[in-house]
This record gives sequence, C-alpha cells and structure tokens, in this order.
Amino acid sequence: MRRTFTFIAAICALLSGAALLQLKLAVQDQAERVAALADQIHEDEESLRILRAEFAHLTSPSSLQEQSIENLAIMPPRPDQVLGNINDIPFRRSESTVDGSQSVLLPTAERPKPGAATPENGKSEDQTL
Amino acid sequence: MSLARAQSFEFHGAQENESPLAVARLRLMIGVLLFMVAFGLMGIRTIELGMSSPSVQRSATREIVVPPVTFARADIVDRNGELLAVNLQSSSLYANPREVKDPVGLAQKLVEVLPGLSQAELEQKLSSKRAFVWIKRKLTPKQKWQVNALGDPALDFRNEEDRLYPHGRLASHALGYVDVDGNGIAGIEHYFNERLSEAERAGEPLALSLDVRVQYALADELEAAMRAHQAIGAAGLVMDVNTGEVVAMVSMPDFDPNNIRGVGEAERFNRVTKGVYELGSTFKTFTFANALDDGIATFEDGYDATKPLRISRFTINDDHPKNRYLTLPEIFAFSSNIGTAQMALDIGGERQQQFLQSLGLLSPADLELTEVGAPMYPATWRKVSTMTISYGHGIAVSPVQLATGISSMVNGGHLNTPTLLKSRGSNYRGQPVISPATSRQMRQLLRLAVTKGTGGRSDARGYRVGGKTGTAEKAVGGGYDRKALISSFMGVYPMDDPQYAVFALLDEPKGTKETFGFASGGWVAAPVVKNVILRTAPLLGVLPKAEDENLYQRVALMIEEDE
Repeated sequence: MRRTFTFIAAICALLSGAALLQLKLAVQDQAERVAALADQIHEDEESLRILRAEFAHLTSPSSLQEQSIENLAIMPPRPDQVLGNINDIPFRRSESTVDGSQSVLLPTAERPKPGAATPENGKSEDQTL
Repeated sequence: MSLARAQSFEFHGAQENESPLAVARLRLMIGVLLFMVAFGLMGIRTIELGMSSPSVQRSATREIVVPPVTFARADIVDRNGELLAVNLQSSSLYANPREVKDPVGLAQKLVEVLPGLSQAELEQKLSSKRAFVWIKRKLTPKQKWQVNALGDPALDFRNEEDRLYPHGRLASHALGYVDVDGNGIAGIEHYFNERLSEAERAGEPLALSLDVRVQYALADELEAAMRAHQAIGAAGLVMDVNTGEVVAMVSMPDFDPNNIRGVGEAERFNRVTKGVYELGSTFKTFTFANALDDGIATFEDGYDATKPLRISRFTINDDHPKNRYLTLPEIFAFSSNIGTAQMALDIGGERQQQFLQSLGLLSPADLELTEVGAPMYPATWRKVSTMTISYGHGIAVSPVQLATGISSMVNGGHLNTPTLLKSRGSNYRGQPVISPATSRQMRQLLRLAVTKGTGGRSDARGYRVGGKTGTAEKAVGGGYDRKALISSFMGVYPMDDPQYAVFALLDEPKGTKETFGFASGGWVAAPVVKNVILRTAPLLGVLPKAEDENLYQRVALMIEEDE
C-alpha cells in the first residue's frame, strides 16, 4: 500500500513537472508571438504615417483639380445650384425627359418619337444631330 | 494486517510501559495524518476552484508594450486636420574611409546608385584619413536598398528624420521651412519651433486656422491673374471676420518648402505679412468709419468735389472725377479723394492718428509669424499727411493689417487680432473700436461701392459681396511711378451677415485687352476676389440667396449715377 502510494506520488510529480515545462514553453512561445505582434504594430504605425503623408500629397487640391479636369466633367457649383434648405429642392419635373436627355425617361411618360422635338429637348439634342 | 496492527497498537498503547518502537510509530502516524489532512484540504480546494467560475478575470500581469512611433517634431495640420507638415524616418548614408579598400571603385559604384553625387568629390572623401564622412543625407527607401545591395562594409546608415510638406508650394509662406537638422527657420515652423520640437507634445499636432481648399482656390486664382496681367507679385488673404482667424494666406511668387536650396529672397518674402504697401482707396473705409462714429459727418452730409484740392505744393485729384457736390455715399462709391480729404480735415490729424492706432494700423501686426513688417507712415503728422492718409497714400501697411482693420469695420465693431491658430472659439470677441450702428453703415457703404461704384467686378451673384478697390502708384525714389501700380481689392461677404473677408493684391499688373488696358484694383483684383468667393463660399458654408434690397435702399437713393 505504501509503495503504491509512493509510486503514484512520484508519477504525479513527474507528470506535473512535465506539464509545467510544457506550459512554460507554451507561454514563452506566446510571449514571442506577442513581441512580434507588437513589433508589427509599431511598423504598421510607422507605415501608416508614411501613407497618411502620401494620401495628403495625392489628395492635395492642385492634384485633385488636375485629375478632375482630366477625368471628370464637373464644374464648381454656380450660386443658383447651391441649395441650403431641403424645401428648396424642386420636385422632379413631369416632362417625359429629364434635362432634355433621351437617355433618362420617367416611368410614367411615353417615349416620344425620335425627331418629333418637344419644347424641352428641341434645343439641346436634336440640334446637334 | 494493518487492522491487526492498529488493534495491537491500541492494545499496547493502553499498557503502562510502551516499547520505543511503538512510540516512533505513533509519532510517524501523527505526521502522516497531518499530511493527509493537508492534502485533503488541497484536494477539496482544487475541486472547489475547478468548479467555480471566477467573476473577475485577472488580467495578464505581463503588459504588452508596443514600441511607440517617435518623431522629433510635431505634425502641422490645417483646420480640418489635413496634414500640412510631417516628420518621416529617412536614412542618411555615411562611410568610414579607414575601412575603404578601393576608394575609386566604391565611388564609381556609389555614383551609379546616387546620380546626384560628383565622383571626384566622393573619391577624395573616401580616401581621407577620417573615420566618418557623410556621403548623402536623406536617401529614398529605394536608394537605401540599392546601397545595401552594394554590400560594402565601410558604408553605413544613420537614421534621421525628414520634414515633409505633402502639399508642396501650398501655404509655404505660412508654414515656413526647416533646415537640414530640423530647426524651424521661417513661418510657423520658426515661430513655434520650441512647441513643435517639445518631446512630450510631439504626438499632438499643431492645428492651424488655414483651410487647404480655400488656400488652393486663392492661390490658383491669384496665380492666374498674375500670369494674365504679367504682375511681378501677388498677395491674397481670406479671414474670418468674426474671429480673426486667417483661413488662407497666399504670397506669390512662392517656393517649395520641401526643397529650399536655391530659393531666392524674392520667393521667401511674405507679401501678406512682411510686405507693406500703400493700399490706396481701401483706406477710405477707415476715414468714413471714423467720421461717422465720431458724429463728424452723417450720410446726409456731403463735400464739394467740383475741382481738385490744392494744399501747399500738392494737388489732390479724383480718379473718377464727377466735378460736382457729392453726398457721403457718393464719395465712397465713386472713390472721391477730394471729398475724403476734406472729411479727414474735419476729423483732424490727431484723432485720425488715434483712430488708426486703435485699429492696429500703426504698429506691426500681432500674428504668429516672425516675418511681420512694420507699417510706414510720416513721423510728423502734417495736414498734408492727414489728407493723403485719408485715402491711403502716405501710409503703408501689410495686407494682414488691412484685413484685420476692415474685419472690425463690418463685424459689429470688434477688433479681432489676426491669428493663424485654430484654437480660437467662435464666441471670440475682441476690443470694440466702433459702434455696431457705424458698423452697419459701413456695411451699406461697402455693399454699394460694389453694386454702384468701382468694385462692380467683384460682385459674385448671390453672395452679397461688399468691398472697396484700392489702386496706388508705387513710390519710387522721391515721387511716384505712374506706370507701376499696386492694385488691390478688399471684399467682404455676405454683407447682411459678414463672415469672411477676401483680399487680393497684384504688384505692378499690366492692363490687357480684356480690361481695356486698365490695371486698377477694380479691373484686375476685384475679379480675383469674385472667383475666390464663388469657389470657396460653398466650402465655407455660406449660402447664396436673394438680396434684401431694403437694407440699402435708403442709402442707394443718395447715389446719383451719371452714366
């Protein structure tokens, strides 16, 4: 009985020792990972700064204007295009076309025959055709 | 067997004389029992701990330390947080010539990688007896990689920081620049050098009152006008009239603070703060405010402007002569020097000087820049000085001083010292200089000078611009050069609730076919102000709307147009 007891105790001691070693190695492993991640965060923060500077450079108003002139057909707003109150926004016009363009048609409207100029689109598109 | 032994122990223990072996066993058993109790307790505790779910999670005792990104100089940002100046890591290349085995070969290889270097100079450096020579400072990451690829042990890098201005030329005069060691030399960089290089506050960016979008619109328009009129320079300013914050500040020609080598004195010169100019008729605003506020004249009064005014050896003429009696609003709208000069005589030289002093026009502007010019005015304030200064001749001030003064005329009469920092709240109120009633009258006059007077080309439709043109001949030697003009326009909008003052100045503009050969402020500078307002008012949140004619009707009726 006493021998079995000693034997079990020894096994327990060995097992817990092994488990402790295992745990220690695991912790060390994790600590290394944490340190590596911290380093990574540091590096990322540094490159974030560089990216922020690059972003500021690329979105500088002068380069935006260049890009806009090259790729967009957007002009600065005229005073009559700037609305401050939501009630100032006009309702959609009830004509068959929007701004005289045949490409945008309201669902309720009938498609006008090509060539038959309505007062709305008569001056914009048909003249150029 | 053990039971039998225990029985025998009891049996023996009851006896009087015990054997020493039994005593030893007894003691041993007590020890074993104690240990078993202890182990039992530990077991119970282990089970209890295993069963319980701890309510408070103990945090790891090990703190995760992320090495902070350190930099020697704080960033500078604009009012919306847009980056204007930033410190970035860069590497500088140096060599230890004592370890160089083949100076000629190494120099050749280095020149291939870094084309900006001279080979002869490099060879000389690399064959010297010193232990440290700079090869090139602030390499790009690609260059660094290429140098590393050479694999020469005599070469090494030292980490340094580079000050970068992502917007290049934009706002260069306000920002200033730094030397190669990162010390501020000009502009905000110089004025706030200590604050920016404070180690504890490096992570805290310095927020300026500038807005890069407005800054660019102003710079773009001024540059275009400068090119169109072949001017030698230009200056512009946008100021919040209610807080004194400078929203944009442009001086042309400008420079790129990223590379200041070879930049001349003319480019570095800040015309907005350091340059002082005789600004001409814009000054009439102050004379009128002075007279109205002191009760010396009212809108119903007027002055005779039938013929030029003579005083000692000077003759005062009108640029747009009407040759008749003019009412006060007419004098302002038609920019009559004769009428204004007479009004100044009524005010008196001493009071005029005192009034201009209260507007800060006789002392250098109180701005966060070291490049601030002192105004120029006669040491002895004679009668002639009083008369010429009333319409802006014989006194030279910087544009920022003028904008500050004009702001105080329209914002209800508060003088707000100009500032380049964002820190000022919207409730800021400076020293009162004129009464709110006079300020209201000045708004009417300024608006009518645009709708009926010389500033018509600044009228951005919908934004109710008010303003005053200024055209002055440049002082050359003892007299004035009739060909060399300083043409400016000081605009404020919207006039029914003033928000921003916009100033544009062109130095020696030439007339063009479009302006019928004219180069005065109303022809060359007013359109710049108009375009800037049209471009920036939507950004600054000023809404265009139909004008309330009633505000100006009474005064407008006093202006009789001949044409």
